Amino acid sequence: MSININSEVALTYLIAKKKQTLVASLGVTFGISMYIFMNSLISGTNEYFEKMTLSATPHIRLYRDHQISNSDRLNHFLGKASTNLISNPKMVNSDERIDDPYTLLQALKTNPASLAVSPQITATIICSNGSLQENGNVSGVNILEQDKMFDITSTMIAGTVKDLSTDPNGIIIGSGMAENLSLKTGDNITLTTSKGSTKVLHVSGIFRTTIKNVDQTKCYANLSVVQQLLKKDRSYITDIYVNLKDYTKANRIGKQFELVTGYRVETWQSANEQSIAARMIRDMIANSVVITILIVAGFGIYNILNMMIYEKIKEIAILKATGFAGRHVVAIFIFQALFIGLLGSFTGILLGWLLSKTGSMIYIGKGNLEYLPVSFYAKHYIQGALFGIITSFFAGYVPALRASHVDPVEIIRG
Amino acid sequence: MALQANHINKYFYAPDKFQALKDISFEVKKGEFVSIVGKSGCGKSTLLYILSTMDTAYDGSVQLAGENITGKKQDALAAFRNAHLGFVFQFHYLLPDFSCLKNVMIPALRLGKLSRAQIEEQAYEKLTLLGVGHQALKTASRISGGQQQRVAIARALINNPDIVMGDEPTGNLDTRNTAIVFDMLQQLCREQQKTVITVTHDNDFAAKSDRIIEMSDGVIVNQHTR
Repeated sequence: MSININSEVALTYLIAKKKQTLVASLGVTFGISMYIFMNSLISGTNEYFEKMTLSATPHIRLYRDHQISNSDRLNHFLGKASTNLISNPKMVNSDERIDDPYTLLQALKTNPASLAVSPQITATIICSNGSLQENGNVSGVNILEQDKMFDITSTMIAGTVKDLSTDPNGIIIGSGMAENLSLKTGDNITLTTSKGSTKVLHVSGIFRTTIKNVDQTKCYANLSVVQQLLKKDRSYITDIYVNLKDYTKANRIGKQFELVTGYRVETWQSANEQSIAARMIRDMIANSVVITILIVAGFGIYNILNMMIYEKIKEIAILKATGFAGRHVVAIFIFQALFIGLLGSFTGILLGWLLSKTGSMIYIGKGNLEYLPVSFYAKHYIQGALFGIITSFFAGYVPALRASHVDPVEIIRG
Repeated sequence: MALQANHINKYFYAPDKFQALKDISFEVKKGEFVSIVGKSGCGKSTLLYILSTMDTAYDGSVQLAGENITGKKQDALAAFRNAHLGFVFQFHYLLPDFSCLKNVMIPALRLGKLSRAQIEEQAYEKLTLLGVGHQALKTASRISGGQQQRVAIARALINNPDIVMGDEPTGNLDTRNTAIVFDMLQQLCREQQKTVITVTHDNDFAAKSDRIIEMSDGVIVNQHTR
């Protein structure tokens, strides 16, 4: 019953001052809607860039690093009788191959954390069609595994990835390359390496990623074709790409792989540090804007409640004279603050959704980005409402406390 | 004994140190109608605020309805006022955003002893008794001064208090309404054995009460019982 009468008084005041109530809650509305919109936009943008990054970078890349020459061999042959030192050690030229790659591939595939595993070899080549020439590089891959990893299918504008997997002498080229060499599917293309080996392949597909550099240089061929171009054996593999079920765990799992296999591991985060930095900066900008807005909304509530208390000071004195204790007065004004917060949060959620929806319809049309990337997560809406209510509570608490200290004698004496 | 004041001293410190009440002691019996009179600034209102528990900065002690209220905490005093005291001020001091009925109901809802329906019934009964039942649902700011004061009396009585205190309860009323308000207060003493203590400027009003306490410069100079 005691809660009832406090909230009843509070509600009556709120209704009596409709305009002030509305203005105060509008402050919260704008704060919350901006919170929701900014967070949705930032998380949408982050997701977009992450997707872009992951469409070109595997979660984990395993490769053999060049090693600096050491005295292991000398120790082995000369024994410990002498101290063996190499003066001025240099990097040793190895052929970068991964030893026994198929056993390792099998082991990686059966790892519960991995989703797709794809062996790679790359070669720098000159592609030619008649007298036309273009520089490029060809990746020897198992195209079906590679497609699982990078969704090449979605970028294909002619042919399919299946066509490459069924044609041992096929090649998939980028749209820029196809244009520069006047090629279409079914045409022949000649690949020449720096070592002088040549191969003639037929174009089984053309892709377009909208990243110019990739579209003009990148080609996919079968593993054996690139092995032949490089004059290597069938077990010559230089890189293994691994995609994980949860790409956010790449750093941790990558570390494990590195320890177990002995090869170097590069995770997508370490390969794209600048985009991680950009993400952090975006988060920071968004957070500072959002916090500023919430503080401004909080001061709005504070101001209006302060004014309301100033106007009602006589009535607060009367309430106290007729038996309302300090805590009841606090309850009355906290109720008002929370009501304003709730009203503002509710309309803020609606406005935030509307802003996000409208934002997601803004056309960008650059690269492969069509519309402003905006995400829709319930999390942001719940957080927004929660922040709105918490801000209102604290903004109301200070004036409420002031109201509870009103001395009825001083007011009634006049 | 409804009220007992022992050696009350009160000082004001702003703008200068000034003793407003000097060693005031008196008693009021249950069912008595007491008027405190005196010139402006004689300390009569100051005394009333101390007796009403709202002012706690004084020396001496006050007992109300058999309870020593000196030294109690603010919240305890608020609860005490709610249950045992009724107030009528010079200006009606109703809450202008509420209806007359709600104004009367609020102290009872605060007390929370009865259900809302019972409180509403009693509030309406009190308003009718005071002749403003037909105004019950009007907003408190929309009725005449005399009616407002009667609503304020109904509010003071809603929790069935032991003592009713008035600070110039008729100070703002015309002769006819003054008579009505006086009759009501007197009725409370005669019929319900309530104690009424008022501060007033109105000598006619004071002359009709059971006892007059005359104050001057912070001391009681004269008391006479009718």
